[in-house]
Amino acid sequence: MTNKTASGEVSARSTWLAVLARASLSELEAKRLLLGELPVVEQVRPPEVGMLMLRGRVGGTGNPFNLGEASVVRCAVRLGNGALGVAYALGRDKRRAELAALFDALLQDPARHQELQRMLIQPLQAMQAQARANRRREVAPSKVEFFTLVRGDA
Amino acid sequence: MNTTTSLAPGLLDEVHETQSAFRALLDALARPGEVRTLAPALPGVALGGAMARLLLTLCDEETPVWWQNSDPDLQHWLRFHTGATVAPHPAMASFAALTDVGSAPALADFAAGSAASPEFSSTLVIELPSLQGGTDMQWRGPGIEEQRRVALQGLSADFWRQWQVNHATFPQGVDIIFTCAEQIVGLPRTTRAVPLEEA
Repeated sequence: MTNKTASGEVSARSTWLAVLARASLSELEAKRLLLGELPVVEQVRPPEVGMLMLRGRVGGTGNPFNLGEASVVRCAVRLGNGALGVAYALGRDKRRAELAALFDALLQDPARHQELQRMLIQPLQAMQAQARANRRREVAPSKVEFFTLVRGDA
Repeated sequence: MNTTTSLAPGLLDEVHETQSAFRALLDALARPGEVRTLAPALPGVALGGAMARLLLTLCDEETPVWWQNSDPDLQHWLRFHTGATVAPHPAMASFAALTDVGSAPALADFAAGSAASPEFSSTLVIELPSLQGGTDMQWRGPGIEEQRRVALQGLSADFWRQWQVNHATFPQGVDIIFTCAEQIVGLPRTTRAVPLEEA
């Protein structure tokens, strides 16, 4: 969305888009089954697979570095009421992007927003946070602290 | 909501539809004056089928497009599907979409490339009322055996004078693709065109 939307709305949307992008296909399919009848869905951009260059500050100096490429799938759909839903997700699963775009469009519908936040976004967000915390706990013991002596010429 | 509510879809089968459009365009430019047929107009896009499909086929994020008709819906549509930005001035355009050739800028206003890089010139896509029934012109040049009679409609004598100048600046100069609904005719800078009575 563009400048016409308040920045608060943009960040709320980017939050749910991030949650949808991380959700697995089975999770999205399960939630899709919970929805009833939907308006007509038009594919503005059918699901398509492409590549993204991943950049990161992996060097010692902090400069951006091209880590490598990852495949992504993206999709844009429009519902009967005109809201445009978009989705980007890692991988090549077209159905996943299609469902995520559909949910994005539905979340922009004020009549459905609250319910979807409650039954879709909040549970997924909690699960993803939990998974992240678990992983952190697992790897924490392997952390190594490096101490460097001051060099002579420093 | 904003313009996303009116955003029209692009090509449904992007890979194959752009390939067939590109093939038709290659043929049209290799055989100036011969009519090639692309596919029907796209739903919700206020452009002829050939022009819309050529823009989707040719443009990407490195090719600014100059629009004679600055319809924000069209500009947004092309930006969404190809990443092509809007060129603020004809001289900065890789491609130009012209829908009313009578009030269009002069050919010399578009980018002609440089002697070292003639490929940095503009390619004009011009929608005409018809590709036949206009003033008879004789076309000669590479891709035409002897000569070909072409009678594009809606082009003034002044346009053809400008075209002679454009032809004379070879290897620089613009190339033109004339469109009418689903059909296209190519006019590359190598083609010489003179009125039939003078030929």
